[in-house]
Amino acid sequence: MPGVFDRLDKEIKDKQKEGGITPLDLAELPPALRKIMRLMLRELQMNYPRLCEVMDAIPESDRLSRDELQEALTTLTQQQWLNRIGEGEKAIYKVNLRRREGSKLAAGIWSALDAKLKKNPSDT
Amino acid sequence: MKGKIVSVHSFRGGTGKSNVTANLAAQVAMTGKRVGVVDTDIQSPGIHVLFGLDESKMGKTMNDFLHGKATVREIGFPVGENTGGGEGRSKLAGKDLWLFPSSIRGREISQILKEGVDFNLLNEGLQSTITEFDLDYLFIDTHPGLNEETLLSIATSDILIIILRPDNQDLQGTSVTVDIARSLDVPNLFLLVNKALPKYDFAQVQTEIQQKFDAPVTSVLPLSFDLADNASNDLFSLRFPEHDWSKALNRVVEFVLAVK
Repeated sequence: MPGVFDRLDKEIKDKQKEGGITPLDLAELPPALRKIMRLMLRELQMNYPRLCEVMDAIPESDRLSRDELQEALTTLTQQQWLNRIGEGEKAIYKVNLRRREGSKLAAGIWSALDAKLKKNPSDT
Repeated sequence: MKGKIVSVHSFRGGTGKSNVTANLAAQVAMTGKRVGVVDTDIQSPGIHVLFGLDESKMGKTMNDFLHGKATVREIGFPVGENTGGGEGRSKLAGKDLWLFPSSIRGREISQILKEGVDFNLLNEGLQSTITEFDLDYLFIDTHPGLNEETLLSIATSDILIIILRPDNQDLQGTSVTVDIARSLDVPNLFLLVNKALPKYDFAQVQTEIQQKFDAPVTSVLPLSFDLADNASNDLFSLRFPEHDWSKALNRVVEFVLAVK
């Protein structure tokens, strides 16, 4: 029977499949949102108390107020650029980066290339 | 405190980016820091050569990690325990330096191109490399130009070093990269001029480029036939520490180590 961590892991993976932000979009974000996204990229995941802690550690001029932080988190989760997993203060936030799609070249080209590369013994 | 991410980038190929990255990482490791080097140039990997790693010795790679077939712990190649085949590299014996290579197998490169990249996984890999290996510095050797892997590494960097040659194509491309780096709020943006012709006035080159981009030029490295002659067989700055190129490179190391 799957444990709570397995369930959370599945929930995270399911959410990550939906939407997400591209690295290029990060550059277009308003400063407050970008600040949070940069922090989240480095920390991978944080709950709200931890985010407040990290925010309090940065220079005052760059800091977001609690209201600004809350507002930014709401926007980021609504856009599915951040995933919120769980409820209440224990809920964690996690960046959701959009997957880069594979090449749109016709499948036949890839299978031909694959077959050719398979012939090279050093590539097997 | 978490280790620093240092991305080394150039808008165009052929600037000597991998050579500079490998030598910088090695010099920082020589100061006793714990250092990692990740090759995110998945489409055209090359930095492994400078660390004496060839296909026969290459184990698990970033490609395996991105396909969920390996952990970052399994990818790390301990350079300090594998320093054979180079007089310069031998100085790294016992140092805390790990390389996280990308695959040089054609099938694995084409598989990434075909299937795309999971950026959540790539970012998790970069961040967990720092924590798992308790790194002070993680150097990222990026793909030249601007692609999404590169933008991600820039977005997550503490330090971005942009390498350019004193050439008009490089200057134009660098201005694009600088704009993007600024819009991604990179806290420490440094420039490094490589392959400057010896006949140039290096101080003047440094001043002009610094003014053009309003960013510090950490050093101007000369175009060196000796370095070309080394043919990526060894870590040049360790092998020839008194060479002008090596001395100029060490000024960049000072900038990196000075960032708090």
